[in-house]
Amino acid sequence: MDDKEIKYFHALQIVEDNCTGCTACVRVCPTEAIRVRDRKAYIEPSRCVDCGNCVEACKFHAIIPRSDPLDVLHNFKYKVAIISTSYFGQFTEDISYGVAKQALYELGFDDVQEEAMVTDFMISMIRDYIRANRDKRPILSSNCPTVVRLIQLKYPSLLPNLFHLEAPMSILTRYLREKIKAEKGLAENEIGIFLIVPCPAHVTAVHQPEGAYKHLQDGAFSIGMIYGKVREHIKNLQNHPPQIETYPKGLTWALSGVQAELVDCEDIRALSVNGVENIMEILSRVEDHYLDQYDYIVLRSCTNGCVGGCFNVENPFVAMSRIKKMIKEGKDTEIDVTDLKELYDTGEFDVAPLAARPIMELDKDIKTAIVKMKQINEILTTLPGLNCSACGSPSCYALAEDIVLGKASIDDCVVLLKRHSREEDAENEENTTQEADK
Amino acid sequence: MQDFAAARSEMAEYWNIRPDLEEEVRRHLAAPPEGDVMLESLIPEKDFNTAGKGSAEVKNLLKRLGVDPEILRRVAVAAYEAEINVAAHSRGGIMSSYIHDDFIHIMFQDKGPGIADIEQAMIPGFSTADEMVRELGFGAGLGLPNIQKNTDALHIRSEAGGSTMLEFIIYFTNNGR
Repeated sequence: MDDKEIKYFHALQIVEDNCTGCTACVRVCPTEAIRVRDRKAYIEPSRCVDCGNCVEACKFHAIIPRSDPLDVLHNFKYKVAIISTSYFGQFTEDISYGVAKQALYELGFDDVQEEAMVTDFMISMIRDYIRANRDKRPILSSNCPTVVRLIQLKYPSLLPNLFHLEAPMSILTRYLREKIKAEKGLAENEIGIFLIVPCPAHVTAVHQPEGAYKHLQDGAFSIGMIYGKVREHIKNLQNHPPQIETYPKGLTWALSGVQAELVDCEDIRALSVNGVENIMEILSRVEDHYLDQYDYIVLRSCTNGCVGGCFNVENPFVAMSRIKKMIKEGKDTEIDVTDLKELYDTGEFDVAPLAARPIMELDKDIKTAIVKMKQINEILTTLPGLNCSACGSPSCYALAEDIVLGKASIDDCVVLLKRHSREEDAENEENTTQEADK
Repeated sequence: MQDFAAARSEMAEYWNIRPDLEEEVRRHLAAPPEGDVMLESLIPEKDFNTAGKGSAEVKNLLKRLGVDPEILRRVAVAAYEAEINVAAHSRGGIMSSYIHDDFIHIMFQDKGPGIADIEQAMIPGFSTADEMVRELGFGAGLGLPNIQKNTDALHIRSEAGGSTMLEFIIYFTNNGR
């Protein structure tokens, strides 16, 4: 298990010129992945889960979430967009579902498909899976890439509980690639399949998928990045609203609470949790078997689910309310799932067992780990305990740990430094008065 | 009829040790050394927001040591149940955890009023929890049996009318149950 060799892709990038070293990002990181050293923030790739907390905390635009540039579309003959359901919550209510969807064709896609198409199919797959895996209860949802990585890093004992089938956008990708290859007579590398995503974690998942057996998507575009262009096309389209198929019932996928309600039934009890802090608390209780009464837990890192992703333009509560309105008022299109079922039955949507990426252990050897912990506790007693982060580590405990692991020095503590210099000043003063007395 | 004065001085004791560890555990508990790492946490009376923090802290600590997840779970459950017991039934107390190379020793000491009948308290479903505690969803009478189930050694000493001391030991390896 030499994971030092693995290079982790991340969608979050630090723009050093903009970084003031303020440590706002350091304090909000759920995995303590960020340190400020030499007045610049640094993200430890093996600890980052792409949750986006730091992006929202940074007031200086120094942490930029990346997604692919639209130019990559030119590399493909046939371009397909798959839209995350949260996209439809981003527009004012005078803009119809159909218009918002049609606008994506105008960006240069030959085909536009929605995550929402397969929501119903997903729900039945999830129920099947839960019923076939009663010994592993509760089953944990695996759609949110941040949650999956968080479990690999901090709760590896729960890896067997993860729902081990592809997420809806990846299921659609597999299905569409086969279909287009057959219908259009195109080669695999002539078809470009892209996701329109609400968060950096989904960009990471496209570029470094966990557990994927086969080539999935060719890129991911941020909702925020395409938003301006889409709005322009919408302006032109509104006078001639298009006749286009929509799947309002499936939009529930963007809302974690509604998704749990859909899976919940007579023999399945589901719980919905969102927000990364809540998720960590819940996962810890699942580890201790305190939540065994649930068969399924929907876990989404962002507020209210994917509508809370940091690529979105609209507030997660407003977006949720709009999507609920669309679900209520929309007219659904029938979907033929025979092909999907066939692929499912042949194991096309299976996911490889995920490997742990443990970050918690101080050392592989428990005795050495205890020695290190003792050292940490000794250093901790000398630190001021303010957890001010001025040293660049998230807390006094984290600094003590960084010192023991050779990543920082006790001199990084600003408070101690100030105390020492004051003591020195007092000493000097005493010396001078003594000298004057002579 | 029980004489009140006699009951007050009466010390009740309860032991449950995995047979193969009997000697080792008795020897250790007779004169417990400090342990390599020590952790302390206060448990205020009827404060169910704070109760549970100590066991969460211990669990995180053991995670850092790379303790096996199944053993981690046993420690977390036993410590949590004991913490809740102190919060629900006593006037508050303190939890002290001592981490050694191959096991953890956790001790709970409260300010009374003591357990009237320990054997009875060990019966699943038996509880003396009051209305308030039950309303909060605790007091199902599974606390002590759950602690016993998850520990390698359990020792309770209670003075009727006085304080209660509960301590347990869980080994990190040799999960021979």
